[in-house]
Amino acid sequence: MSNLDRAIEKLRDCQTLPEQEVRELCYRAQELLVEERNVQIVDTPVTICGDIHGQFHDLITLFEQGGECPDTNYLFLGDFVDRGFYSLESFLLLLCLKVRYPDRITLIRGNHESRQITTVYGFYDECIRKYGSANVWRYCCDVFDYLALGALVGGPGGVFCVHGGLSPSVKHLDQIRLIDRKQEVPHEGAMCDLLWSDPEDIDGWGISPRGAGYLFGGDKVHEFNHTNDISLIARAHQLVMEGYKEMFEGAIVTVWSAPNYCYRCGNVAAILTVGEDLERKYRIFEAAPQDAKGMPAKKPVADYFL
Amino acid sequence: MAITSTIGLAGSAYSRSCSTTSEFAMAATQGSLDQTQLSLYTPVLTTPSISQAGWSIHTAKRAILSSDEIDQVTERIKIPLPEMIFGNNHVIIRYDASGWEIGFNAVDALDRVAKHGNPDGGLVKVSYSEAWLRDKASSEEGVHEVVKPFDWTYTTDYRGTSRPMTTSFEKTEDKIPLHKLRRPDPILFFEDIVLFEDELGDNGISMLSVKIRVMQDRLLLLCRFFLRVDDVVFRIRDCRIFVEFGENEVLREYVVKQDSYENVKRKIPLRTRDFGLFLRDPNWVAEQLPVIETVTEKAKVPMQAMS
Repeated sequence: MSNLDRAIEKLRDCQTLPEQEVRELCYRAQELLVEERNVQIVDTPVTICGDIHGQFHDLITLFEQGGECPDTNYLFLGDFVDRGFYSLESFLLLLCLKVRYPDRITLIRGNHESRQITTVYGFYDECIRKYGSANVWRYCCDVFDYLALGALVGGPGGVFCVHGGLSPSVKHLDQIRLIDRKQEVPHEGAMCDLLWSDPEDIDGWGISPRGAGYLFGGDKVHEFNHTNDISLIARAHQLVMEGYKEMFEGAIVTVWSAPNYCYRCGNVAAILTVGEDLERKYRIFEAAPQDAKGMPAKKPVADYFL
Repeated sequence: MAITSTIGLAGSAYSRSCSTTSEFAMAATQGSLDQTQLSLYTPVLTTPSISQAGWSIHTAKRAILSSDEIDQVTERIKIPLPEMIFGNNHVIIRYDASGWEIGFNAVDALDRVAKHGNPDGGLVKVSYSEAWLRDKASSEEGVHEVVKPFDWTYTTDYRGTSRPMTTSFEKTEDKIPLHKLRRPDPILFFEDIVLFEDELGDNGISMLSVKIRVMQDRLLLLCRFFLRVDDVVFRIRDCRIFVEFGENEVLREYVVKQDSYENVKRKIPLRTRDFGLFLRDPNWVAEQLPVIETVTEKAKVPMQAMS
């Protein structure tokens, strides 16, 4: 059994790897990812998965439901880390699978695969807690910079996969191919938009009420799909109670793969399998039981708050 | 998974003795300090979580709203809902003899969020908004319109939904007797329920949650709105409800606190490695923020149902 297979076994048991092994793994992953294009070309059939957010036990359920890698070809839409308690194990498992079976799993970048965001939303703290230093966090962040920004599934008439959504600077997929992606997620520009923007019931483009970030309407989705000869945009980034939500006459879908998000939302999760004939098949699954080790108790602990 | 969520918002399963529209409308005009809105939320009351000394506490802790429910509520309150919207959760404190009650739910709280506004004045913007607006590629399609500006921080002055409203809260000099609440009396019932939460597109957090503890002779409820907009602002709005079971009155204390992110950050103990731990802890933040406003009110609870 190779070291890699042993690491995969360990991670499947939700155990962490020694720092040195993580370093090697991240290095090998970078070597592999640097060769990938900004928009990866992926064959059908493929199973598309949305946000995971460190919910390791639910990721294991996902593989049980969708079939193990490499038997099933997977595409993950990013946001592997933050929020959940096992960002490290979740991300390293996916990364190990990527290095072991590079053609059977595609990882694209979410807005949480960023130094700045992981510092605030949990992954950094988790690494410090589990290793006593920020080294592992740094290795992982270096990998984040190499992740693809999107994927094109199934050739003409196929599916464009991206974490957030569209950008007003990107009319043609070719424009994504021009981005120098090997950097921290910037605060503005096409790369930022692809990881951050959201569809909304509006016409054209709008600016988010927060004062930064784009919202895009159904007309822009249809336009983009027509221009690039695709039938669907598959994205993640937004929580959906039902696990997935199609909008604009099925021209875009949000796929969400973290059931019972943050261990309290009660939502189901979904994965989308795109078949050889580009047929869409959604599979819904529920959260792993909360009695697993280290999960928050369901009953709150009484306290003498004032 | 049992998703029982459609019942609450469809709201037909439970009818209350004094919930006719006219009565609400009349009551609405009488409330001075009281909130005068009509409730948009119809709770489904099941068995009380606890009954103590003539009072009963009803709590509901359910999943976030379904997409259909989100559409319904959005239609009614006219703003996009927070990402995690627990629209079927509630805590209700009820005086059994008269049916008077005060409850807390997400829909009524969100109905009090500023639904309009000018992004250039009044409304909070994320820290990098100016830079983003300046740098966004000017050549593209000329996108300058902010979509339906509203207070996306979901800051609310919600102080609960009381029914019937003919019993209104009046300002008082009384204070919640903290000494009684500091005593380690056994807690007979405790619950901590989130009403809504939004990560503000990873720019911080906005959260409304309710804690309640019931002891033998009294209860305390805290409905806390907590807001952190990274590098911009912290806000806390605390609404406390205190009931001494032997007395037929309810005390309500509403406290507004706010400070800049920078000021709060400066108060983090030196030598700490983890700033985030402090900035994410509403209890620690609550102790750092200056009080902007405090309003204490009292309501006399009707002893019997009004005819």
